Amino acid sequence: MKTIDMESKLIIENWVNDYSDALFSWAFYKTSSKETAEDLVQDTFLAAYNKLDSFKGNSQPKTWLFSILNNKVVDYYRLSSKTTKKTVSLTEDQGVELSNGFFNDSENWKDASINPIGTQDQELLDNPEFNKVMQHCMDDLPIHWKQAITSKYLTDKKADEICQDLNITVSNYWQIIHRAKLLLKKCLETKWI
Amino acid sequence: MYKMVNSCKKTTELIDKQTLTSLSIKERLQLYIHKSMCKTCTAYEQQSKFIDNAVWRWISNKTKPNIEESNNRKKKILQELDKS
Repeated sequence: MKTIDMESKLIIENWVNDYSDALFSWAFYKTSSKETAEDLVQDTFLAAYNKLDSFKGNSQPKTWLFSILNNKVVDYYRLSSKTTKKTVSLTEDQGVELSNGFFNDSENWKDASINPIGTQDQELLDNPEFNKVMQHCMDDLPIHWKQAITSKYLTDKKADEICQDLNITVSNYWQIIHRAKLLLKKCLETKWI
Repeated sequence: MYKMVNSCKKTTELIDKQTLTSLSIKERLQLYIHKSMCKTCTAYEQQSKFIDNAVWRWISNKTKPNIEESNNRKKKILQELDKS
């Protein structure tokens, strides 16, 4: 029994070294929380260790570990949806209303003045204060919009793959990105002085 | 406003659409025409690119493969496993 345990531990150790970063990135992407992501990855390796017998090299270890993790993420969502209060971020309908609201009845800019943000030098991007504001503005977005915009930059996936993941159409997708950008623009202009 | 010229709303849509998918010739032409008449939308194009960079920067800050953090995480996981 002891020898089997040692061998299992070694296997898992190798897997931790090889795959924990990728698993963590994915969990973080899915949950937006470092602590939650760490816990989920932890649980994944624990579960893997406990049922190592059922693995038997039928698939790639990475694939197997990711499938365990995905199940844990699903469980996490199921539990958290029952207990989390409504977050401060907007609903999609509110987001649409807001972004439409930047334009008048003739569908032209209500406020045609040009805010200097984004039209001048890009040094702002290195400013940590600015990045804090950016964080707030991203958090204010409707959750699905935030996911869409995040997946665009986070993964190398093409638009149609992302659309499959998020279960939206391609035209829906760029509409969402577009509206999210309008909201971000407004938020940055308001909060950054 | 001439009917054949796009509204600002439509124009901003095209500006962002074009970063994700290709525009039709008609759309490209309308975009060009509107921008030549509208400073605000021309500026929007720059701002939209800036926001792209800002989001990109925001994401890479969050997901930077921080070696120290990664090693700490691995240590923690292995410690927990040892307990079990």
